[in-house]
Amino acid sequence: MRIEVNKEKCSGCHLCEMVCSLFHLGIINPEKSAIHIDKDDLDTSLHTPVLCRQCKKMKCLNAERLKMTPERKKFIWDRKRAECCPFDALPILGEEAFHCDLCRGNPRCVKVCTPGAIQIFK
Amino acid sequence: MDRNYAFSGQFCYNPGRMVLGRKIALLHLNKDSVEILPIPLDLRNKFLGGRGINMYLLSQSYSPDLDPLSPENPLIFGAGLLTGILGFGSRINITAKSPESGHLGDSNMGGDFGAELVKAGLSHLLIKGRSRKPIYLFIKNRNVEIRDAQKLWGLDTVDTQRIIRQELGDEKIQVACIGSAGENLVRFSAIRTGMKNSAGRTGMGAVMGSKNLKAVAVRGNLDITLSDPKNYLKYYLRTLKKLMNSKWVQALGRYGTPLLFQYANAMGFLSIRNNQLTTIGEQGYALEAEALEPFSTGMLSCFGCPAHCRHRFSIEEGQYKGTKGEGPEYASIGSLGSKLGNFNLQNILSATELCNRYGLDTISTGSYLAWVMELFQRGIIDQKMTEIPLNWGDGKTILKLIHQIAQRKGFGNRLAEGAFAKRIFGEVSKDYLLDIKNFPIEMTDERLPKSFALGMATSTRGACHMRSRPSLDILGLPEKILKKIYGGRVSDQFSAYSGKARMIWWHEIFNALCDALGFCHFLTVFSSPHAPQYNEFSKLIALSTGLAFTPKELKIIGERIYTLERMMLVKDGITRKEDTLPKRYFEEPIPEGPAKGEVISHEEFDGMLNEYYRLHGWDENGIPKRKKLEKLGLIKKE
Ligand code: SF4
Ligand code: SF4
Repeated sequence: MRIEVNKEKCSGCHLCEMVCSLFHLGIINPEKSAIHIDKDDLDTSLHTPVLCRQCKKMKCLNAERLKMTPERKKFIWDRKRAECCPFDALPILGEEAFHCDLCRGNPRCVKVCTPGAIQIFK
Repeated sequence: MDRNYAFSGQFCYNPGRMVLGRKIALLHLNKDSVEILPIPLDLRNKFLGGRGINMYLLSQSYSPDLDPLSPENPLIFGAGLLTGILGFGSRINITAKSPESGHLGDSNMGGDFGAELVKAGLSHLLIKGRSRKPIYLFIKNRNVEIRDAQKLWGLDTVDTQRIIRQELGDEKIQVACIGSAGENLVRFSAIRTGMKNSAGRTGMGAVMGSKNLKAVAVRGNLDITLSDPKNYLKYYLRTLKKLMNSKWVQALGRYGTPLLFQYANAMGFLSIRNNQLTTIGEQGYALEAEALEPFSTGMLSCFGCPAHCRHRFSIEEGQYKGTKGEGPEYASIGSLGSKLGNFNLQNILSATELCNRYGLDTISTGSYLAWVMELFQRGIIDQKMTEIPLNWGDGKTILKLIHQIAQRKGFGNRLAEGAFAKRIFGEVSKDYLLDIKNFPIEMTDERLPKSFALGMATSTRGACHMRSRPSLDILGLPEKILKKIYGGRVSDQFSAYSGKARMIWWHEIFNALCDALGFCHFLTVFSSPHAPQYNEFSKLIALSTGLAFTPKELKIIGERIYTLERMMLVKDGITRKEDTLPKRYFEEPIPEGPAKGEVISHEEFDGMLNEYYRLHGWDENGIPKRKKLEKLGLIKKE
């Protein structure tokens, strides 16, 4: 399973970010979310939701020689590992990075994305 | 805020990150002083936040002698109680005494600014004084810095935001700022954020300009903790699902507010040529929501909004090629379009964008232009004064005048005075400015919908549809449903008087509560009977803040806010005789179209007012009764 992004549809509401932090951490902080919206609100161009693509071969783990499955299930990663992501997909705040764990099988962000910019892809 | 009040109240138990832990920054620009204080729990309990707390703060210094452009006028920013968290909108109110009307000023703004302020750990700013030099504020996670803005002075409202982000090296900064209009103290200038979001009405931009304050920039990433995060999320998702099933919200997400233009034109409550007509029939297709679609490049949301009602547009060819922006809203299409006899959509898009860049309120700009166009039509003013002919529908003239107003050049310098220009245009001119409490009516004509008419007459910020407009009235819902919502009989006829006082009374209170919470009216019962209202609000507040209010108690808070606003007007000497409508509404029946013959009857209108005052607990002159004030805790019991 992964979250498929259709950026043409994103309205830039930030609801997905809020829900992600609320579900995992019990707080609201859009910067502590595994999804983030790349947006220039002083331009008329599109917004782009960015998050982990659930790659089959996780290049981000190359340096660490770890088993992939347990790491996939973790939400908080460290900054260094996130910096190895070839897509810069993980939001970083301080020394922490936020990795999409697919909400342990029941993604919450897609539930609030009313335009359908993010959807579950099985 | 009165410091004693702040320290006498009981503080929130968790000062840090709880929703209730958001603070207020008090600034005095003469002294460069900044003080950050907690907001007493008692104040939250009485007024919640946003417009509610703003009104409490304004009432502390409000007086008839307070000059709106003086340093003593407080400029107050107030994010709603639930702004910045998963709610139904994330809005902020900006409040001060209005230089446009001379009375209460207040304007509500969407976009991302309010939420960012909250993420920075603050919910309110109270700014007094006047800086000697142009400055701007930079607020980051509760740290307030006063910075030089001399280089920004003169920039438009979009460039100002860009340059501040560049200067501070952070693209996520949100900025509320003024353009030339506010700097030049144009009485109807706006405070702006993003491409088009505005605290547009009542001239808050001029108050900011009078303080030499070019912008407020904010950036925050503090955690916000909720009382019961698990259940909040569950409840939010459930409520959201229900809301999104409503046809109205779905349509709003596709067409935005221009959807409403169609209704107004088809039913005959649109302002054409300064309300000389109220429909343009088929000509109106050119300005309807669907006509906008070829220019639309997608839809956009304010922070935390599931409805995404904002258009982005781009004009790719023709005379106005290269114009890009956001909007326009129905109010702007009406005000800069049909109200001026202007049916050229591309010109309207350009005019709206120009107002946004300069930081002018599109509604008031349109209203004053309509006024002088009618004065010109009737020969009350002529080219000697205006320099150019003011002909209905002349797009070039409209753009030219917008430039002149914002820069206070030529005839525009007079127009920049808004309703105060009556002094310049003479006694006869007064009848052609359709205003209420020295504040001009908007893009609509209220002779057909009697509920709308009463709402305009009683609004606490002068002619205004956002204080109460019951759009539900358009839908013609069965009386049974209306009774369930409003708690008494309301006629299902759009043009009837009966029960409409109840409707307005109900919405005034409800809208005040929405604005205190930071919710967007479009996501509430404003337009759909299935949208969230008191019950849902009560649950959302409890699960996020831990404060327990029954729906009935929330209603009392809305009432408290509205009555406090009324009390400020009463201080200005405003009573029943000012709760009225323009002469044209009483004396000139609508000449043609589907609403032909509609006019307001003095007698019926008086009847509505009586009923309205009775429901509010105000006397027959519209002055809140002592008993009511005591009950609301606005004065001490004898
Ligand atoms: S699926 Fe869950 S973890 Fe992944 S981005 Fe969405 S909310 Fe966050
Ligand atoms: S919820 Fe959807 S529309 Fe809103 S910001 Fe996220 S991806 Fe974009």
